[in-house]
Amino acid sequence: MSTKDDILFRIRKHTGTRYERPEITLDAITYEDKLKQFSDSLEAAGGQTVVWQPGSDINELICRHFPEVKRIGSNLPEITCATFNPDFVSDPRELNNTDLAIVEGCFGVAENGAVWITQQVKFKALYFITTALVIIIDKDALVNNMHEAYLQIEGSDYKYGFFVSGPSKTADIEQALVLGAHGPMKVLVVLKG
Amino acid sequence: MSTKHSIAAARFIENRKQEAWHDETLWMVRVKRDKMSRSLPEWERLRELACDIKLYSNSHLDTLLEQFEENARANGAIVHWAKDAAEHNEIVRNILQQHGARNLIKSKSMLTEECRMNEYLQEKGFDIIESDLGERILQLMHLTPSHIVLPAIHIKREQVGEMMEHEMGTEKGNFDPTYLTHEVRKNMREKFLHADVAMTGVNFAVASTGEIVVCTNEGNADMGTSFPKVHIAVMGMEKIVPDLEALGVFTRLLARSGTGQPITSYTSHYRKPADGGEFHIIIVDNGRSDILARPDHIRTLNCIRCGECMNTCPVYRRSGGYSYTYFIPGPIGINLGMLKNPVEYSDNVSACSLCLSCSNVCPVKIDLGEQIYRWRQELDKFGKASPEKKVMSGGMKFLMERPGLFNTALKFAPLVNKLPRFMVYNGLNAWGKGRELPAFAKESFNDMWKKNKVK
Repeated sequence: MSTKDDILFRIRKHTGTRYERPEITLDAITYEDKLKQFSDSLEAAGGQTVVWQPGSDINELICRHFPEVKRIGSNLPEITCATFNPDFVSDPRELNNTDLAIVEGCFGVAENGAVWITQQVKFKALYFITTALVIIIDKDALVNNMHEAYLQIEGSDYKYGFFVSGPSKTADIEQALVLGAHGPMKVLVVLKG
Repeated sequence: MSTKHSIAAARFIENRKQEAWHDETLWMVRVKRDKMSRSLPEWERLRELACDIKLYSNSHLDTLLEQFEENARANGAIVHWAKDAAEHNEIVRNILQQHGARNLIKSKSMLTEECRMNEYLQEKGFDIIESDLGERILQLMHLTPSHIVLPAIHIKREQVGEMMEHEMGTEKGNFDPTYLTHEVRKNMREKFLHADVAMTGVNFAVASTGEIVVCTNEGNADMGTSFPKVHIAVMGMEKIVPDLEALGVFTRLLARSGTGQPITSYTSHYRKPADGGEFHIIIVDNGRSDILARPDHIRTLNCIRCGECMNTCPVYRRSGGYSYTYFIPGPIGINLGMLKNPVEYSDNVSACSLCLSCSNVCPVKIDLGEQIYRWRQELDKFGKASPEKKVMSGGMKFLMERPGLFNTALKFAPLVNKLPRFMVYNGLNAWGKGRELPAFAKESFNDMWKKNKVK
């Protein structure tokens, strides 16, 4: 008997009562002002939001927020302030020492300030190795809670996707909060209005 | 008879300042959890659903695991099954060898602790690098985690700083957590870039899509899997959830319960291998299928390893993770240890005041305290009941069954108040250890009632 068959045999032998799958019904929290809630949640998680009015230059807005950065990676055509296209590197290690990466997200979640991103760059390393991360989403692309989030994701195809809520962080030394554990130290979500 | 837990706890509380800090810090995390839970009117409904979904999935493991495997294979993953720790470790070693790997970068996984994988692989000459900050600190200090979510909660910043002066050449006497964290960041960056194979644990495995979900605050799992060609994800088989709809219940509860955050910084869904890469998933039994046969203890399989039962437990907070003999401490660890080997791990069942705080906060509604109580009733069966307490309980039973004798004994009981200390507080009286006994009243309730003194 293979290990798999052995395990399945033991499971079947030992399983007693077979419980029904519950109906997942609940009155999940909703917000009158999703934008405000999203911004508040993200701020509490150490991130920031800014609304980008169409017609104004997004590059200028980004430069204003990150005046110090030198190496800027983005594969988005409208990001003219990018100094390189991360899809043109042949090895993800070349992305090390990226100061700022500018990427697109799918939608934001008001209850926790998270943005759902599916991999739209050649190497997912970009999202994590960069010192600062700018994520662009539509201002209207906000859901109330994670139940609504998974309804949006259901049926979509992706290789790798992630919710990101603020910068990388840790409190492993005496529960003192430190931003920038291994990944981005700063996260700015640009809400395209 | 002192248990190993009470002996180790006595050592922990010798350092009063550290004990108070440990207690207060973990309570602070519990308070953050309360704030989070109260911000959601549907909180209790979420807990109920989480429990019911787990009872469903753990009573349908056969079908859900097969469905998961089929979908994961369709996604391009390679799925392995391991019936115990030895098989798990061997599968990992084979993958490493196939790829000529010398090192493995890993994110936090309680399962690899359970399998003692690091020790096994190190003996075979592999370099294992923990990437979670707390785990890395412990690894460099040659210590093990004392909490499943806050692994280095028992370590002081000075100890971390001194270790790093030695290991990474950091500034002497600089114990600032931000400075130290960012020094580890620099040091670890090189390790990430030059890792041969990456390993992650699994918080949730979704049967309907074949993907695995990993939750971290540091982003270390995602950094780790971004450079090597090979990713190995290891999961205990109870990590399965039926679908994304069910997953939504758990991603709302996990961080709110564990650390008082609405969600972890990263909730990463790994569905397919990276281009040109390999994605291995190892499904591990290691005793879990045996728990299915024990209806009284089946809910321990609900556990999502949030750590909240440790944060809330008055005994854990004041005795520390190292006072328990099983590698998972606190209320869930007491129970999992007893399920693993009741003779070996029975010392831990005394580490409980039966306050049931753990049962009341557990996001998946495991009856943690009630199960500990049930284990205590069985101690005699394993030959692990305390002999002095057995003698005393026997004496009590003898008295209780004889009302005349009981009343006479009670009449003379106040004499105990006048006995010299050594006659009351000694090796024969387990209840007098570490606590003061109340004084016996001059008159019993029975006598007062008869004299109409009770209003």
